[in-house]
Amino acid sequence: MQTLQQSQILHNSADAPNNQSESDDAPPKQVAQAMERLNQAARVIADIRLGADRILEAMFVASQPRHTDTPLQLFIREDASMRQHLQDLRLIGKKLEESGVLTESLRARSNSWGLHMPLVCPDGAVVAYAWKRQLAGQAGASAVDRTRLALKAFTDQKRRFFPHIDDGLKMEPRSKKTRASHSLLENGREEPVDYKTLLDIQSRLEKLVPNVKVSTYGRLDWLKRANSLPGSSSDDPTEASNPIFQSSSKMRSGLQTEVVDKVAVIELLFPSVFRAVVSLNPAGSVDPDAVAFFSPDEGGSYLHARGISVYHVYKHITEHAATALQYFLGSGTGTALYFLLLWICTFESLFSKPCSKCGRLLAMDKKSALILPPLHRPYQELPLAVKTGEVSLDDYEAYHASCSQDDS
Amino acid sequence: MPVKWVLYWQPNQGSTVSSQILNEATQCVESINGVKEGRWKAALNYYRPILREQANQAEFPRDFLGISLADQPSKYYFIIRSQRIVLEADSSIQLIMEKLQSYKSKVALYIEGFQFELGDFRLRVGKVVPTHSENVRGIVMEVEYLPISSIEKARKVMEEFLDMWHEALSKRSLPGKFVNIDLNFAEFGLTDSYTPQHTAVRYALVMAQMIATVQAVRG
Repeated sequence: MQTLQQSQILHNSADAPNNQSESDDAPPKQVAQAMERLNQAARVIADIRLGADRILEAMFVASQPRHTDTPLQLFIREDASMRQHLQDLRLIGKKLEESGVLTESLRARSNSWGLHMPLVCPDGAVVAYAWKRQLAGQAGASAVDRTRLALKAFTDQKRRFFPHIDDGLKMEPRSKKTRASHSLLENGREEPVDYKTLLDIQSRLEKLVPNVKVSTYGRLDWLKRANSLPGSSSDDPTEASNPIFQSSSKMRSGLQTEVVDKVAVIELLFPSVFRAVVSLNPAGSVDPDAVAFFSPDEGGSYLHARGISVYHVYKHITEHAATALQYFLGSGTGTALYFLLLWICTFESLFSKPCSKCGRLLAMDKKSALILPPLHRPYQELPLAVKTGEVSLDDYEAYHASCSQDDS
Repeated sequence: MPVKWVLYWQPNQGSTVSSQILNEATQCVESINGVKEGRWKAALNYYRPILREQANQAEFPRDFLGISLADQPSKYYFIIRSQRIVLEADSSIQLIMEKLQSYKSKVALYIEGFQFELGDFRLRVGKVVPTHSENVRGIVMEVEYLPISSIEKARKVMEEFLDMWHEALSKRSLPGKFVNIDLNFAEFGLTDSYTPQHTAVRYALVMAQMIATVQAVRG
């Protein structure tokens, strides 16, 4: 009985303000009304759900042979209240449609004051002030984000439960990974070396260097990721705060052709050691044009291939890397990216490998009067070593700038 | 957060610690191209529970250390070494304890000194003095390597830096040396990623050592 009364009140309250012309109200009031109606709709929907439960319960009880009378009464009562609820819902829905909430009849309203009614986006999000641009951005962004998350969840689950289904690049059998002794020799014999495609380079690198995390991004995506990284001043250690961007490389298997076209930034991360950023020009090619090193704890919009780290050690490596990059670009066609990435991986031992000349890890750099680890790794011999298959990353030499034979 | 090691001055048998050691250490930092950035202050307190009934005494630790760190001005850290507990609290906790009359500060110490920048390293050297006294109880030194926050990855770098530091300091023929205590952070529930809690635990150990040294010298 209570529910019938409630719905009558609903009728009256819904009718009364409608008699005055709604379009005379100021936008905030319209918005408030619309939000109120949406809330009412939600309450009615909840009532409908409860009513459905009660009806099902009544039917269940009716199926028991004992109670004969009560279920029937229950049934009649619930039937009446359900019909009323559905009626109310239709009413609210009509009002929402008229005021432009559920449909895009925005242009039909002549005096919308430039503000639009709350809109229910295609993916279910309710936007209170649906400014057109904001709406497009929000609906689009939320839809894209949700799709990404869904795709990531799907690929993760697929990998977990159906590992035998070939996923393309990432499906390395475990034995191969542990066997990767950092030497190119065996790979040199397995297949002809191909540096033409980004995916190929990436997969070769990941085979050789098990600790590196290689990810590729479009330019805008990289900017978002750089900004979302915890900065050096923040205490928050949760680097995985935005899982969407970390999944970019995993998404490759599903969106191969699309994404590769726009890849403009490659990130090499050695956790706790360094993060290197390489930019490709033009986007989608395998031609690097800049590289920079940063601390794994740095974050911010200055983190890009032409940015400079706040720490001296990474600043100096970046300078050294620029000359190495020029050398690789000059030494061959189309091979520069692979050599560059491989050379970057030799810095995994930055804080552990002592200088091959003086035997110490730290030394006072004469030019800058700073105490630094060995920042120089020779690059001239690398292309030749790769071709003959004699590269061993474990034994790669390192020198202090002052101990190094070449000047840079 | 960058990895930090905390060292304390261990005087040779028969000698005492004084402000002169601090001056020498400061000069030594500047001799290896350290640039003075400013003053350094930290405060330590030993708290004891105020018990209404003696019967409860066994439930409470005899005393524990509270420390405020210069890096984290809005926080206060507690360490109970015997239980391997380290806790981060808001700095207002001191006021709360006072109002509640739950714990009382039995010993209050200050660390006063200077902060230096050496490239990617940050050094702090300071003397430990009780409040209202110029009596130097000890000297502490903090060494931070700013670029990385993994304790294991930074280990070799820190060790070699300290070798360089010892070498530079030995030229001054001082009666003692700076000592670093290695400890197992895992016992305190801390990980390889450095945090202020790590620093708090280090200080608890350093202070314990320092007090033991002072007591040994005295008698």
